[in-house]
Amino acid sequence: MNPDVQARLERLKLTPIDGQALKKLIEAGLTWLRANQQMVNALNVFPVPDGDTGTNMVLTMQSAYNEIDHLGHRGIGQMAAAVSQGALMGARGNSGVILSQLWRGFARALQNHEILDGPALVQAFANARDTAYKGVVRPVEGTILTVAKDAAAAAAQALAETDDPREILARVVIEADASVQRTPELLPVLKQAGVVDAGGKGLYFILEGMLRFVHGEPLDMPTATVQPLSAMNMENAIDSIEPGQDYEVVVDFVPRETLDLQKFYGELEKIGTSIQVGEGEGMYRMHIHVPNEKRYEPIDFVMSLGTITKIAMENLLAQMEGIDHKASGARIELANIEPGQIAVVAASPGAGISRVFASLGVAAIVEGGQTMNPSTKDFLDAFENLPTEKVIILPNNKNIILAAQQAKDVTVKKVYVVPSRSIPQGLAAMMHLNPDGETEAVAAKMTKAIEDVTTIEITTATRSVDIDGVSVEQGQVIALVNGKLAISAATVEKACLGALAHAHADDYELITLFHGEGLPTTETNRIVDVIRTAYPAQEIELQDGGQPHYQFIISIE
Amino acid sequence: MSKETTTLGTIHISPNALATIAYHATLTSYGVVDLAPKNLAEGITTTLTREPAHGVAVHYNGEEIDIDVHIIIEYGTRITSVAASVANAVRYQVEKALGMPVHNVNVHVQSLHVSDSE
Repeated sequence: MNPDVQARLERLKLTPIDGQALKKLIEAGLTWLRANQQMVNALNVFPVPDGDTGTNMVLTMQSAYNEIDHLGHRGIGQMAAAVSQGALMGARGNSGVILSQLWRGFARALQNHEILDGPALVQAFANARDTAYKGVVRPVEGTILTVAKDAAAAAAQALAETDDPREILARVVIEADASVQRTPELLPVLKQAGVVDAGGKGLYFILEGMLRFVHGEPLDMPTATVQPLSAMNMENAIDSIEPGQDYEVVVDFVPRETLDLQKFYGELEKIGTSIQVGEGEGMYRMHIHVPNEKRYEPIDFVMSLGTITKIAMENLLAQMEGIDHKASGARIELANIEPGQIAVVAASPGAGISRVFASLGVAAIVEGGQTMNPSTKDFLDAFENLPTEKVIILPNNKNIILAAQQAKDVTVKKVYVVPSRSIPQGLAAMMHLNPDGETEAVAAKMTKAIEDVTTIEITTATRSVDIDGVSVEQGQVIALVNGKLAISAATVEKACLGALAHAHADDYELITLFHGEGLPTTETNRIVDVIRTAYPAQEIELQDGGQPHYQFIISIE
Repeated sequence: MSKETTTLGTIHISPNALATIAYHATLTSYGVVDLAPKNLAEGITTTLTREPAHGVAVHYNGEEIDIDVHIIIEYGTRITSVAASVANAVRYQVEKALGMPVHNVNVHVQSLHVSDSE
């Protein structure tokens, strides 16, 4: 340990924990949670990609921190009360609400304290637990509540041996970790999906971040722990490419001896950045970004540790160019709206789909889909400046309908939400748009039209799970018919054919396929040919949708 | 929507059956301390009988299912977040059990419950 850190630690041991120290701890908890946000998000239980527990908890903690950021010297009680207030105001999602209740209980226990000593900390943990449990009649165990309960118990136990709050926090973090690992035993749905509880894990990261701050450990890089293979998020890693890192290297391997993770990470950090390590089925997967001249180093290094089973190397610059190219793709011509006409605002997950919507007369596009739901503000921004008072919104995803409805509630414009839950439903509704009609009647007609279309969505399962009587292995292709899991299959082709049969496509006339990004053109054409052969009586259309995550979105009318 | 025709005959699902699912989904939602009677008459009925799903109303509106839940929320939680979670939980659990889409879930916050008097 370097002398600076050593000296800081000594100073810390002697300083009492006052309001300013709590502020630092909250900031550390927030920073560490944010560093591990994607990992918490990846712990979602359902086989479609849309988890956001990590994001909700980060936003809640951020709001708590914003409340105290500008505060000067305060007693611990006042500072904690401000944290509680901020968390309450920013509480997002279920996990965020529970987190805000934990802070509320925590703050209440400290309200007449100036500094935080051991007994006060233990009392605060106990009170946090009690307050959180009061918020629900039938607490579900195996969640963030259980982790809070176990943490409080560990704090009480630690008090018998020490009254140093830092030592108590250390014991709490150890127990919180163990408690998170136990959540699948308490909650069957977690066990079925092979994950731990996301909210509990988030709480653990907040506590661990505080402890890391006390120990003077870095907070800005994600934890050196292995994650389940399914939680590895390679796509997001591409967003954060550092200059000079030209190659992405992914190596699967079986180590000869138990892997010393800290050391393993340490060695990798000398070679490159964006390091992720995943574990599953007796093997490990290592992901790293490296400069051109070092591209073989990670492979040599891993080879010295065990047997390599698979290597993948990709030129990041080429990928980046691909991304830039996509962004600057052909411009989308939106419909021009005259005052008095009806303007339609549609949510769209991909450039191709946006173009189709535009060609049908949509006046504004809000980007968003399954994994990135647009906010109420995004909708307001889209239509507030249009030169008309009449607006119809097509959310095109069931998770977006609420944001659209909220936009309707806050604006002075006359807004109708046509509750389309998929792209095909949105397109079917557009067929009935009459921009010069009476808004309510047009919206009613469009709403009726969304029932006439069947939607199939093809995607890859992000984890193994049993839902709706369908058994899905991680990595399998699954098909959702009208939002409900219908079949799982080994290939995209089989999933398409199975889903079309499931939806009785031969009773309909037109099958339109929107292919997503990431599916090669030759493969797309081959699958469409297979479908043409299988459904000779139906008209088959292929469109470039450009949506992420879904290989195909299919509309049957 | 409450009726499905199979080769053997039809399956009817009563609003009460759906209400029970919605009731349990609501009670396990964080921030909800109880469900509230919709009106005075229901309040009296609830005390006389042991209806399994008080505070929940299910309407079949042609082909559409609408669900209204009337809840009491713990004082000190963010009401909009709790209500949104309830709507999500009810929709998810009912759709999972039923295999059909739910059109609307309306959440009515009837009152707040203060656990501790400070």
